[in-house]
Formats: sequence, C-alpha cells, structure tokens
Amino acid sequence: MDYQFHWNTVFQKMPEMLEGAFVTLHVSILSMLIGIVIAVFLAIVKMNQIKPFSYISSVWIEISRNTPALFQIYMAYFGLGAFGIHLSPYVAVLSALIFVNAGYLAETFRGGFQSIPKTQYSASKSLGMTNFQSYWYIILPQMFRRIYHPMTNQFVWSILMSSLGILVGMSELSGETQRLQSLSFRTLEFFMVAAVMYYIITKFVLISASLISRRLFKGEI
Amino acid sequence: MNLFKKLTICASLVAVLLPTVSSADKLDDVIKKGELNCGVVLDFPPMGYFDKDNKPLGFDVDYCNDLAKALGVKSNVLNLTWSDRIPSLVSGKTDVVIGSTSDTLERAKSVGFTYPYFIFKFQVFSKNKIASFDDLKGLKVGAALGTTYETEYLAYAKKHGWGKDNYTAFKSENDAFLGLFQGKIDAIITTNTNIATKLQTKEFKDFSAGPFVPNYDDVVGLIAKRSEVSWINYLNLFLIHQIRDGNMNKHYNTHFGADAPADLIQALRDNK
Amino acid sequence: MGSLFTPLSWNDSGLILAGIWNTIVISVVAIVIGTILGLIIGFIRSESNKTVNLILSSLLDILRSVPLIIQLILFSTFVGAWGYPLEPFVAGSIILSLYTMAFMSEVFRSAFESVHSSMLTASRSLGLSYWQTVFYIRLPIGIRTVFPSWLGVALSVIKDSALVSVIGYMELLRTSDQLISRTQQPLEILLGVGLFYFLISYPLSLYGKHVERKMAL
Repeated sequence: MDYQFHWNTVFQKMPEMLEGAFVTLHVSILSMLIGIVIAVFLAIVKMNQIKPFSYISSVWIEISRNTPALFQIYMAYFGLGAFGIHLSPYVAVLSALIFVNAGYLAETFRGGFQSIPKTQYSASKSLGMTNFQSYWYIILPQMFRRIYHPMTNQFVWSILMSSLGILVGMSELSGETQRLQSLSFRTLEFFMVAAVMYYIITKFVLISASLISRRLFKGEI
Repeated sequence: MNLFKKLTICASLVAVLLPTVSSADKLDDVIKKGELNCGVVLDFPPMGYFDKDNKPLGFDVDYCNDLAKALGVKSNVLNLTWSDRIPSLVSGKTDVVIGSTSDTLERAKSVGFTYPYFIFKFQVFSKNKIASFDDLKGLKVGAALGTTYETEYLAYAKKHGWGKDNYTAFKSENDAFLGLFQGKIDAIITTNTNIATKLQTKEFKDFSAGPFVPNYDDVVGLIAKRSEVSWINYLNLFLIHQIRDGNMNKHYNTHFGADAPADLIQALRDNK
Repeated sequence: MGSLFTPLSWNDSGLILAGIWNTIVISVVAIVIGTILGLIIGFIRSESNKTVNLILSSLLDILRSVPLIIQLILFSTFVGAWGYPLEPFVAGSIILSLYTMAFMSEVFRSAFESVHSSMLTASRSLGLSYWQTVFYIRLPIGIRTVFPSWLGVALSVIKDSALVSVIGYMELLRTSDQLISRTQQPLEILLGVGLFYFLISYPLSLYGKHVERKMAL
C-alpha cells in the first residue's frame, strides 16, 4: 500500500467537522419531530377515511416509501426550483427527510394502532372510562410500546440519510467532509473520521433509546 | 562449494538483479495496458462537456486524446465532479486527471502536480450586472463545492465580515449554473472561460459577467499520484510539447474562438 | 464549438435504457448475494451463544451505522490506495451486497427463531438429522413467515442502489444527472426517474402487503 496517512490535516479541521456533525443531528432531530406530527395526521385521516385527506395521505405514504431518498432530495432542491420555489440546501434536505419520515411513520402508527384488539376498547368502556380515558390510559400506552422500536430505527435512518446533503451542497457532516477533503485532497483520512463520527452518533442514539425504553416500559415488552 | 558460499552467491545475485527487475511504473503500465484512463470534469465548458450525442468534448478532452496519441494507446475519458478527482486517482480509476486542478501547496502534499497547463481568472456571473466585488455583500452567492473559487470567496467574505449565511455550495459546476438559472442565488463565482462560453447560449445570454476575484490567478495543472515521479516527468514534457507543437493554440482556437493570448502562453512557458 | 445546451431527444434513449439496466443489474446482484450471505449469518446467529452473537452483531452494526454513501466512497478509495483498484460496478456491488447482508441477517435470524421448538423436537423424533431439520423444516417455514420483511429490505436496496452513483457507476440517477447538465431540464428528467422507481417498487410493495394479510388470516 503506497498511501501515507496524514492525520494532522484532519485534526486541524476537527472544529469544522464537529460543526458539521451538529448540523447532522440538528436536521435529523427536527425532521423526526415534524415528521411525527404529520404522520399522526396522515394515519388518522387514513384510518378514518376522512375524504379528501385520506387520498392525499395514501399518495403521500406510497410516494415516500417507493422512491429513493436521493430522488426526493433532488426533487425538493432542483425540482421545486423549476417552479420558482427556492429552498436552501438545509431546508431541501429537511423537507425531504420530513416527507419520508412522515410517510413511513404514518404506516408504523397505523399498524401499531390496529394491532391493539378492539376488545380492549370495549372493556375499558364497560369499566366506565370515557372515550378520552380509554385512549389515553389503555390504547395509546400499548401502542406506544409497539411503535417505539420502529421509531428509533426511523431516527437512525434520518441521521444516515441526512448524509445525502452532500449532493445538494449542504454543510452537514458529509458535505463538510467533502469540502474539507477537496482543500487538502486527503480523502481517506477525512471520510474515515466522518465514518467514526456517524458510528458514534448512531450508537449514542440507539443506546439512549434502549435505556429510555427500559425506564419507560420497565421490562414488560 | 559449501552451503554458506552458495547462499552468499544467491543473495548477491538477487541483490544485483532486484533493481533491474523493479516493478513497472505508471508509464509502463499505461503503455502495456494500451489504454489511458483520463479523468475530466465534464460539466465545465469549454474545458469539458457533453455534446448532444452524450460524447465528451472540450479542451481537456482534446488534451486527453493528444496524450493518448503520444503514448500510442487508446484514450478513455472518464467523467468526474470536482470532488471526485482525488478519489479517482487514489483508487486507480484514473491514470491522470486533466481537470483544471489549482496547484495549491496544501494539495501538493497529497497529489503530484505537473507544470501549469492553463490559467483562469475567477469571475462573478449574475443576472443583474454587478460592478465591483464588494457589491456581493448581502447577495446570495453560490459556487461549486470544494473549488478554489469557493475558498477564495469564503476567505474574502470572512475578511469583510459578510458571514457564511448568504453562501450556497453546489455539488458540481453545472448545479451552480442551474441554481443561478432557476434563481436560487443572485450570483455565482466561476471561471472567466466558463462564463464566456455560457454567455453564448440562449439560456444565459441575458446574464452578465461581473468583476474578477481580486488579486488572484488560478494556475492549474494536471494531477497524478504523487509517487509516480517518472509518469509526472512524462506529463510535463507532454505539456511542453503541446505548446511547442502548436496543439495548445489549435485547441484554444477550437474552444475559445481565438488564438491563445501571448501572455498566457508566456506564463505557461515560464511555469507560473 | 458545438452547442452547449441541447434538449432531450431520442438519441438519449440508449443512455437512459443503459442507466435503467445498470440500476436493475446492481440491485439484483446485491439482493441475491446479500440474501445468501444474510441467510448464512442469520443461521449462525440463531445457533450461537451470546458471545458469538455480540461479536457478529457489532461487526454488522458498522455496516448499519455508517451512511452508505460514505461506505462507498471509503471502500472504493481504500481498495484503490491498497493497490487493487476496482471498477465502480464491482466496488458498488460489494458494498451494496454487504449492506444488504447486514439487514438480511436480521430478517433470517428471526426466520429461524420463529419456528417453534416443539416442531424441531417433533422432526428430530421422526428421525430427521440436524441438517435435514434445517433444510426441510426450519428454512421453509421460517422463510414463509419473514417473506414480507425480506421484500421490504429488497425494495430498500433497489432504492439505495441510486447511491452507487457517487463512485461513478452510471446507474439511472447518475445518467439523469448527466442529462440534466446538458439539457438544463431538471423537472422532466427527475419526474421520469421518480416514476421508474415507483413503478418497480409500488407493485412489489402491494404484493408484500397482500402476502402479509394472507398470512395474518
């Protein structure tokens, strides 16, 4: 192997890399939070067949699940640009991630809700609970337990897919890495450090998620 | 003859023969392979672009073909983006990158540069005429990610306290033009040559070329693996011949519609 | 010089078809190799103790916690620097297959574990050997249960194959990027690309849902 590693170059640029990592976290957390809100709406209108929203919901869900994320990001950036709608790279990536997260999570929520037997609802009603009480105390907690794991996975997916920001010039971790490596041409070193940073971020998310779940569900899954 | 003597003779034979059978270098490889893998940035007219049949064209492409001809091998032009250039060399996909690479000392720690083969000016290109570089303050400015003009603009912006918020990076040269065309940004920084070419198209004929980036000449060379010294030697001689044999001027004429300026030729001869 | 920007024409159909073909080829290669490797690793994982599982899962975790785009750039640069440059197709297939394997191994582990232990006892008591039990009982039953998840992973691989464009493989998305450069018509081209992926992915996902529903009954 005739490649000599120059690690110093990378260490000098560490502040910029960390700044990029922060943007990565930022965009994926935001895409998750907004995605969840929209997903709840999409799931509710689809389950209750509220027209015409249920059609929009179905179209949203199917397009988001059946086209590549890369396509969605290009579309948000240059596709909308053709209509004179100009999103910044950050907003373009954020909206593409929200679009996908909402689509996938809507199906997760719907599946989670439908997995709770209807008898639970009638049972809680017969115990004298109000509509709200039976949802709040009986249905939703059980549902939450079932969707917790898929939601964590979706969050990790958002972190990994935000790396596509590299293709629209966004300065998240990958984009920043790409820029820095062009200045010094130290491709291997910069991308290796970026890979390690992604690994640490996703591991951190997964470990905290499992710690939180242990507290929340106290082992009864 | 005892065993020890035999071994000594063997060892000295190996020691004498080894340097002569040393591994073939890049120059030998290319000739033996019969094919030159030449990386060009093909969204950077008139240096490199695609014609309507999706065939590569341009000044850099002509250089690739000349080089292949000089070596007596087939020319294989590979399409790269700015940031693909180094990975493509390191990973061995390309033997040489003829891709307007600015010869900074920082980069020269990683790759081998030849003598300069072209000199660009960095220039502002915008829909509304911009008179001086300082007028860019407050405007949305874009450039291709990882280029020297990006670095120059950002350094200038930092020095004058403009901040980074008005800056948009694009993954490739064409994406930057597309962004300008769509109106995502007010102005882009690119090379004078690219602007001159774009002004001749109907899409960009109403746009205007603005001020140059102050005090900066972009001197570019071919790049190859840093360790391939004899290969870089050959490439250097090739570049000298391109000027001496008139090929440089011929291609300049084809792609810029005029003779190469005397000062450009002189600067290249002086290896500035 | 020739004209810089030229609109899409029938001349481009060959290039587009080649892009489509390349997308299909690399997806199929990755799904087939990823499934075979995933099956083997899933089986090993379901049969091993905690230590082996921990080692295997932390190795697979690397593939699942680093963005595919970075794995592709790193791998293709690294093997080149190592002295074994690979064609974009080969490097892309290797990484995409390993990436697929990481997800498939989870699918198949749950496949093997889904078969109830009483079935295994029954088959062993019928005189079937260990491997006969694996091939005739556990594999067929397990695979049937996890078919929808297998299809889910396969569909995501087709979509993720678009990322192999970053190392220079001329699949559909990179082809369209090149055409956008030449034509300055991003919208038409992107919509066409989106439609292609949708037409492949949507029917398959419907089929997956159909199978899932049938099994739930």
